[in-house]
Amino acid sequence: MAEPSEPRAVDRLWRIWPSVAVVAIVLTGALLGILIIPVVQGRSAGIDAFTAICRALGILPGSPASPQIPNRNPPTPVSQVVWTPSVLQILAEAKPERGRAKVQEVCTACHGEQGVSVSPEFPNLAGQSGTAIYKQLNDYHTGSRTNPLMTDIAKALDGSTIADVAAYYAGQPMRNPNPYTLGAPDAIVQLVELGDPNRNIPPCAACHRQGAGGPIDAPVLAEQRQEYLTSQLKMFASGQRRNDVYGRMRAIAAKLTDSEIDGLAAYYRAGLR
Amino acid sequence: MSDRSHEIPERWILHTELLWAFGVGVLVAATISIIVFTALTRNINPPSNVERVDPKTLHLSGEFAEQNLGTVVAADGTVTARIIATQFMFAPHCIAVPQRRPVTLRFASPDVIHGILITGTNVNTMVVPGYVAQVHTEFTRTGELLMPCHEYCGLGHSEMWANVQVLPAAEVKPDRDGRVTCAQH
Amino acid sequence: MRNTERLCLAHLWLAFAAFVGAAVLGAWQMWVRSPLGAHTGTPGDYYMSVTAHGVAMAYVLSTFFIMGFGYFVAVTALNRPLPGKGWAWAGFVVGVIGVLMALVTIGLGKASVLYTFYPPLTASPWFYLGLVVVVLASWVWCVLMLVSLAAWKRENPGRPVPLAMFATVANAVLWLWTTVGLAVELFYQVLPAALGFVQTVDVGLSRTLFSWTLHAIVYFWLIPAYIAFYTMVPRAAGGRLYSDTMGRLTFIFFLIYSLPVGLHHLLMDPEHGNSFKFIQVLLTAFVAAPTVLTIFTIPASLEIAGRLRGGRGVFGWILALPWDRPMVLAAGLSFVMLFFGGLGGLINMAYGMNAMIHNTAWVTAHFHLIYGGTSVIMYFAIAYEIWPRLTGRQHQSLAPLRWQLWLWFVGMMVMTLPWHWLGLQGQWRRVANFNYDNPIIASWGPLVIVSLAGGLVLLASALLFVRNLAVLHRSVLPAPTRSLYALAVDPPRRVPAALNGFGLWNVLVLVVMLLAYGFPIAQFVVAPSPSAIVHRTE
Repeated sequence: MAEPSEPRAVDRLWRIWPSVAVVAIVLTGALLGILIIPVVQGRSAGIDAFTAICRALGILPGSPASPQIPNRNPPTPVSQVVWTPSVLQILAEAKPERGRAKVQEVCTACHGEQGVSVSPEFPNLAGQSGTAIYKQLNDYHTGSRTNPLMTDIAKALDGSTIADVAAYYAGQPMRNPNPYTLGAPDAIVQLVELGDPNRNIPPCAACHRQGAGGPIDAPVLAEQRQEYLTSQLKMFASGQRRNDVYGRMRAIAAKLTDSEIDGLAAYYRAGLR
Repeated sequence: MSDRSHEIPERWILHTELLWAFGVGVLVAATISIIVFTALTRNINPPSNVERVDPKTLHLSGEFAEQNLGTVVAADGTVTARIIATQFMFAPHCIAVPQRRPVTLRFASPDVIHGILITGTNVNTMVVPGYVAQVHTEFTRTGELLMPCHEYCGLGHSEMWANVQVLPAAEVKPDRDGRVTCAQH
Repeated sequence: MRNTERLCLAHLWLAFAAFVGAAVLGAWQMWVRSPLGAHTGTPGDYYMSVTAHGVAMAYVLSTFFIMGFGYFVAVTALNRPLPGKGWAWAGFVVGVIGVLMALVTIGLGKASVLYTFYPPLTASPWFYLGLVVVVLASWVWCVLMLVSLAAWKRENPGRPVPLAMFATVANAVLWLWTTVGLAVELFYQVLPAALGFVQTVDVGLSRTLFSWTLHAIVYFWLIPAYIAFYTMVPRAAGGRLYSDTMGRLTFIFFLIYSLPVGLHHLLMDPEHGNSFKFIQVLLTAFVAAPTVLTIFTIPASLEIAGRLRGGRGVFGWILALPWDRPMVLAAGLSFVMLFFGGLGGLINMAYGMNAMIHNTAWVTAHFHLIYGGTSVIMYFAIAYEIWPRLTGRQHQSLAPLRWQLWLWFVGMMVMTLPWHWLGLQGQWRRVANFNYDNPIIASWGPLVIVSLAGGLVLLASALLFVRNLAVLHRSVLPAPTRSLYALAVDPPRRVPAALNGFGLWNVLVLVVMLLAYGFPIAQFVVAPSPSAIVHRTE
């Protein structure tokens, strides 16, 4: 034991040496990780020391140990809509009353004033997700999605008007949010709730149910026109409709059988969610 | 039973503890040395590619536009596969790669965090929106491998996976644009 | 000291109530994942359960157990009443409110983001606020531990702090440092997104901030087990602690080296380059050191006890140990699990091998084994040991206690060992529904069922644990008065100031964190990641 007259000396040693050791360990790590390893690895790949160090620190893209492949740059995107804060701001500031005026002028003839369509091949819009309507109208406007009737109508609308129309229809009476799955065939309910991992089909509910945390432009399907849903799924399956980003719906629809498409359309038309 | 443990001399305790601590130091040093050695001689690294890309405009970008995804053999012979991970699928769903040639896999996500591994290989990376995840590898065996999404990405996570087809060199036939697609069977 | 006993019991019962609920959920999850339960339960149910199970086990069981045990040590090791008892009770009430906020929100399906939350997936703000409130309650505990220590040191100038309290305060200091990452992530990024003030999240930054907390928190959970190893186990075995100094160094090592290593959870992430990944892996090798030191010191301490009981020969002392005592039995079982879990940890930190197992079932197996196994079995043993003091009653029989510990050990090994193997095969994590039609996945089915069996044994053990404690409350035997903490072979009359306080170590932690995490975090300030849109799950 240290003698009582030297406790300060012992204390000082115990302060100095651990501090030196800890800092030395971290600095050794830094020397190896920032300097030695990247430079040596870069040398074997023909990368100069400065670039290798920048890559290892993350200041430049690429690995310090491999050459970086050059990029290819081409063609036409499938949808021009980008969900940036400014676009979301436009949607947040949209005015449903202005939307109502435009709707009465242009949309009522097919989609109805309350958003219940006049004919089965036109979709219902009441209570539809505002972001979904916004995206589809924009895609019609830019040509990412085509339809003999909608293309000309959408081309005449500008961004803020589209947002107003979307806000108006989104504000129309909400449907029943808590449906039961009574009466639907088990296989269809299974597709909606569990999907099919064997065919890479996620549950429909994983994107199309409110609060699921899926893509923000996923449309509400409940109480939609059965004929419209069937036709859209078939158009996705054939590739005729292509404005789903990265082919999410095209990939899924192509794997559904005809009877599944009919069953799902019937399920959602019944207000089941 | 009297407690005679206090008869163990303090010097003995210090001696044994220091000896053991020395052994611990050797273990720590050995672990670090192996990692440094493999880093310097075999370029064993964790994935290291800090490349920022805007997830919101990914589908508009040149590189990760829908038509540009999949495996491409460039004019200089380098093989690159570009894959999108999104809720809840990979695009393309089947990725063809050649056997025994260096392959660069580049992943991006336009929405939430995903991750991939390829069974039977050491290809493993997170796919974080905002960044391009890049892995350099070489596939040693032919066959059909599974590439699931291994990070929770939402309610459809369990159904999210892709196939990786490792083709023998003779069956790798790039088309006019250098694209290689999976063999149908 | 009566009120302190009720204070401790309140915390511990809350912890164990959450534990049992989570154990039931865990067993259900194992069932749904297996071929036997395929197609039962929707993904919504499954991920709600995973979130609840994770929050209960990782945030509620651990935090409240550590708080309750900490108050107990502060009173019994220092032999003085707890200062600020009113604050402690206020902290407990606040903590309960936070737990309810979080669990109810999860139960309503508005927070299926898992206990590690994955921005840009964003839950209801009530979930995050609930967790913030729990953390605030735990900070009250940290401050009271520091105040307790300071008061004792004023009354006992120059004397060595009893090791149990030194370690408890080390843990409190560690927790204060640990929660910084999570707090910044929640206040700066996640809560504004959840409340709708912002629509985008810098995901690279949020993952980095969370990693700050993610590794250190597991040492926060582990340290109480080590407190038991160093102070309670040698006494329970009838021996002494081999070296008091080594004990102090172990806890100091944990404090310094468990914080600057979080990036090893992001080894496969694209937002960092390999320089800082390497630096933090090097530091991770050092956080293995205190465990390996413990592997010598504690068996050496037990050897003393064994030989005092007449054990002869190189290994005879092992058989001579009083294995019928729950604390000794638990320590032995814990060490076996520490061996496997620790080796797994060494594999995880080596990034060449990490690439094989990242985000596979290996990871799940590893942390169930090392936390659920090594740490939690010692939580049981500590509870059994201190409950007589808290209730004034003694266990009528130790056999059910031993049964419960053995069941936990067997269940944990049976559940986690096949899981490690499945991870190596590539089985990935957090799957509600495996596609057992795929031949690769179908081949995993039998081992998944074996794991399920282990999980059911664990559930039985969890229920037996709670029963053992409940029964003790009605026992007719009075509690024996005996010391709880072991003496060192050579109790120090004085220890260096550095081993008696935390001033120096706080400075070193700050320095090391600046060096290890400074650049990785600063890069997001200088060059923010392109942000991702928030995905709301409520």
